Formats: sequence, structure tokens, C-alpha cells
Amino acid sequence: MKKKKISVFMIINFTILITLGLVTLLPVLHVFSKALSGEGPVIAGKVIFWPVQFQLGTVLYVLSQPEFKNSFGVSVFVTIVGTLIAMLLTVTTAYPLSKPTLRGRKPILYIFVFVMLFSAGMVPNYILYRSLNLTNTIWALVFSGAFSVYNMFLVKNFFEALPETIEEAARIDGASNMTILFRIVLPMSMPVLATVCLFYGVSYWNNYFSGVLYITKASLKPLQQYLYDLIKNALSTVDAEGVVDIDTAMNLTGEAVRSATILVSTVPILILYPFLQRYFVKGITVGSVKG
Amino acid sequence: MNHKEPFKKYFQKNYDLYLLLLPGLAFVFIFNILPMYGILLAFKDYDMFAGSSPLSAIGASDWVGFKYFIRVMAREEFRAAFGNTMIISLYKIVFLFPLPILFAILLNEVKSTRFQKSLQLVVYMPHFLSWAVVAGIFVSLLSTTGVVNSALAAMGLDKVKFLMDSNVFRKVIIFSDGWKEIGWSSIIYFAAIAGLDQECYEAALVDGASRFQKIWYITIPGLMPTIVLMLILRVGGIMDAGFSQIFAMYNPTVYDVADIIGTYIYRTSLGKLDFSTGTAVGLFNSVIALMLVLGSNAFAKKATGKSIW
Repeated sequence: MKKKKISVFMIINFTILITLGLVTLLPVLHVFSKALSGEGPVIAGKVIFWPVQFQLGTVLYVLSQPEFKNSFGVSVFVTIVGTLIAMLLTVTTAYPLSKPTLRGRKPILYIFVFVMLFSAGMVPNYILYRSLNLTNTIWALVFSGAFSVYNMFLVKNFFEALPETIEEAARIDGASNMTILFRIVLPMSMPVLATVCLFYGVSYWNNYFSGVLYITKASLKPLQQYLYDLIKNALSTVDAEGVVDIDTAMNLTGEAVRSATILVSTVPILILYPFLQRYFVKGITVGSVKG
Repeated sequence: MNHKEPFKKYFQKNYDLYLLLLPGLAFVFIFNILPMYGILLAFKDYDMFAGSSPLSAIGASDWVGFKYFIRVMAREEFRAAFGNTMIISLYKIVFLFPLPILFAILLNEVKSTRFQKSLQLVVYMPHFLSWAVVAGIFVSLLSTTGVVNSALAAMGLDKVKFLMDSNVFRKVIIFSDGWKEIGWSSIIYFAAIAGLDQECYEAALVDGASRFQKIWYITIPGLMPTIVLMLILRVGGIMDAGFSQIFAMYNPTVYDVADIIGTYIYRTSLGKLDFSTGTAVGLFNSVIALMLVLGSNAFAKKATGKSIW
């Protein structure tokens, strides 16, 4: 009797969980299938969760667009250079602040906490970027994400939890603060550094709004802004009432192109994600909440 | 420190620590503190070209006191945006907050770690997609020619304009946010469950407790501190109803239900070039958000002994 009850629970449980998994996966599969299907089946609405008349033409067409190539390059540059700068700023700030004996630590910490919790707002930031002549430069995209106080605190908390004895020993051997940071602390902190590095990388890659706010020049638009523009165009036409047939057809061709753009701008993350997932998970569980 | 050495001596020994702090402090000064000067333009008739740069133009503009605050508070559009922010945030809390907890509990009941790991890999994934991508996916699914409407039509039902109908758009917002974040938000609960005392479960097993009794009397009470903490912090973040999401998904036909404070600021300032109003609304928003976060964090500290900083 009891055993039966358990198995009924398990059946329901598996049904719920597998449904959740499918609900997560199928929308992505649908869009990817459209990207890889022939134009005819896409227009006829025949593509559901698997490519029909599989072809790479649409994807190759997207990849050959000069605007796309440009935006892809912008995003790669911003992600790599931005993450490097962000990591440098994060580590160099976190290390001194992890020393409880640092004089003036409290007021400096307060500055960072304040900045984390209170933002001047969208307009003052925009005015500043314009005044510094950063709008319509690639540096607007780099600087707008180059320092996350939250990530800095994550790293700082990790540094604080490292055993002090190793550092003490090195200090007695005459090692300077810098040597200790680069030779001892950083090598011991690889897990948190990997996590934070990935947080920065993903947020650079996925950020579309900095582009919308600071970039109007087509050649400087990051990939996500390029995609955002495509989708905004779709939103303003796809559902409009009374479209003539030819427009509908045009839009549906657009649908294949949009799907292919989504595919190629998502694939870099999806390829890396399974290998990096554990670092992300670690980041959220290690040092994010203070006891 | 029991006996303080003079600061000069301490500084000489540790000047490199301060040197390390310099880039971070300089960055925060330029990109976070300096813009705060820009807040002044909420109290001025701002003319962007009155000075040598947009920033110095603030000094050259005339003071008008609270003119822009008073004017915007009376505007129907602003009130709607404020209301929408609250409503969308509350809906998100009511409908989405419990789901990651439920998911963590249900998945924890599965014995196979292989199944657990695979499902986690799947449901965490959408968190790493940008809102531009997620908006694209949902437009593709929900447009009038999309697969969902085709399915509805095939079943003989009326088509629904999910993205252009004020009656359904908020549901789309809630659903897509859930789709993207439920998995990711469950991580913290998985960690909490893993940290529960396994002896309790063993003792319960000896006492012949059923699965539901174990969930109800051990797992849920064990999760309570984490749940309370997350809920308080979530309420503290109520002023952000999901700007990147809504900015990517909304359109003029649903402004009445989807326009939130952030999107309203963007349209008034960068759309209509009314920078003073945009700054005023931004300041209003930042001050309330700050108070809510500080309040919720203090409350969390009191209630659970934990906080975010």
C-alpha cells in the first residue's frame, strides 16, 4: 500500500519536472529549428520543434551580412577587453579591502556600498558619457560594465575567508603585499575568480541596453543591440492589423533571418555553458550571503 | 589593533595597498559619483548646449526648484508607470517567488543524481540568454503568425495577440520572466537543502515518516530562514520591475499596462529630450529604491540574522 503511494508521487513528480524541462527547452528548439529550415516550411508554419528541409543557407546569409560581422566583432572586443579591465579593477579593489587592519577601510567600504545601492540614474549617466565624449565610441560599452561592486564584494569575502597562516608565513619571509596578492592569494582564489570572470563575460556579451543608450552608429552596435533592433522592427510590423499579403511574406522571411540571428548570437554561450555551469553555481552559493 | 602605530608609518609600510585601491576608487568616482552632480538638472531648466559640455551646461542652467517634480507627479502617464511598476513587481513576487522553492523540493525528491544534474543544466540555461534573445524567442512563439497561435487556430480557438493586447501582455511578462529565471533562482534553495542535517531525515525514517511528512516537517522548516531572507530582499527590490525585460518586449499598444518607471524615463528623456523630467523621475526612483533596500536589509538582519552586506 505504502509503496504504491510513493510510486504515484514519483510519477506525478517526474511528470512535473519533465514538463518544466520541456517548457524550458522547446521554445529555444523551435527558434533554432526555424533558423535551420527551408524558407518554404517556415512561411507555411510547418516548422515546430525540428528543422524541416534542413539547410544552413539562412545562417550563412546572416553570417555574411556586413552589419552582423561588425556587431559580432564589437561584442567580442567589448567582452574580452571589458572582462579584463573589470577583473583587474575588481581584484585590486577587493584585496586591500579584505584586510581588516587597513586604515580607513570603513569609510572606503561605505563609498562602495553607497554606489552599489544608489545610482544617479539613466539621464545623469548619459550626460556624463556625452560630456566625456564617450557616446558612439566602443569605450562606452566597455566602461558601462567595467566594475560591479557586487562582484567585488564576492571576491573580497572569498579573500577574507582564506587561511591567514600562509600569508603570515610569506610576510615573515619578507614578501610584500603585491607579491602576496599575485603569488599566494590569487592562485588560491581561482574558483571565485573564474566565477566572477564568467559573470562579467556573460553580462558584457548579453548587454543590449548600453548600446541602445550610448551608441547610434551602426558600425559600433554590439550584437545584442543589432538583435534588439531586428526584434523591435518585428514587433512594430508582425502583429499590425491589415498587412497586405506581400508584407506578411516579407515578415516571415524576416522571421527566418531573426531566428538565425538568435541562433548565432546564442551559440557561443550555449557551447561554453555546460562546461562553465558549475562555476556560476558556485558563485551564487559561495560568499553571496553574509551570515 | 591594540597599540596604534602612527598613520604615517603605517602608510609607508602599506602604501602599495592604497595604490591598489586607486584604480577602483578612481573608476567609481568618475562613473558613479560624478554623475550625481547631474542630479541637479532635475531642479533646473536644462539646456544641454548652454555650456562647453553637457555636464558644465548644468551649472549654466537656471534653478527652478521642484517645478519638474510637481509637474510630472500630476501626469497620468507617470502615475500609470509608477502603478505598473508596483503591479508587475507584485505579480512577479506572488506568482514566481514560490516556484523555485517548489522546484528545488521536488527535484530533491528524485533519487537519480544524473537526472537531477541534467535537469538543472537545462533549467539554468535561459538565465544566460540576454533579454534581447528571450524577447526574440517569445515574439517568434507568440506573434499572430507564431506557433502558439497556429496551435490555437488548429484547435478551433480564436487567435490571441499576446504581444499587443493589454489584457494579456502582463501575463506574457510574468511567464517569460519565470521561464528565464525560475531555474537559476532555485540554486540557493538547493544549496540550503544540501546543508540540512541529514540525521533528521534518518530519524524521521526510523519513526516511519512519510515522504510528505518529511517535506512538511523537515525540508520546509529547514528552508524557512532562506525563504524569509530571499523574500525580504525581493520585496526590497520592488522598484525594479524588470527594466531590460520590458524594454525589449513592450511596444506602444501595451504602454498602458507595461510602461514602468525605467521605460518612462527613457522615453521622456532620450525620446522627447525632456532631460529634467527624466532626471527628476530617476531621482524619485533611486531614493525610494535606496530606502527600500536599506529597510529590507535591516529587517532581514533582524528577522534572520543574515543580510547581503
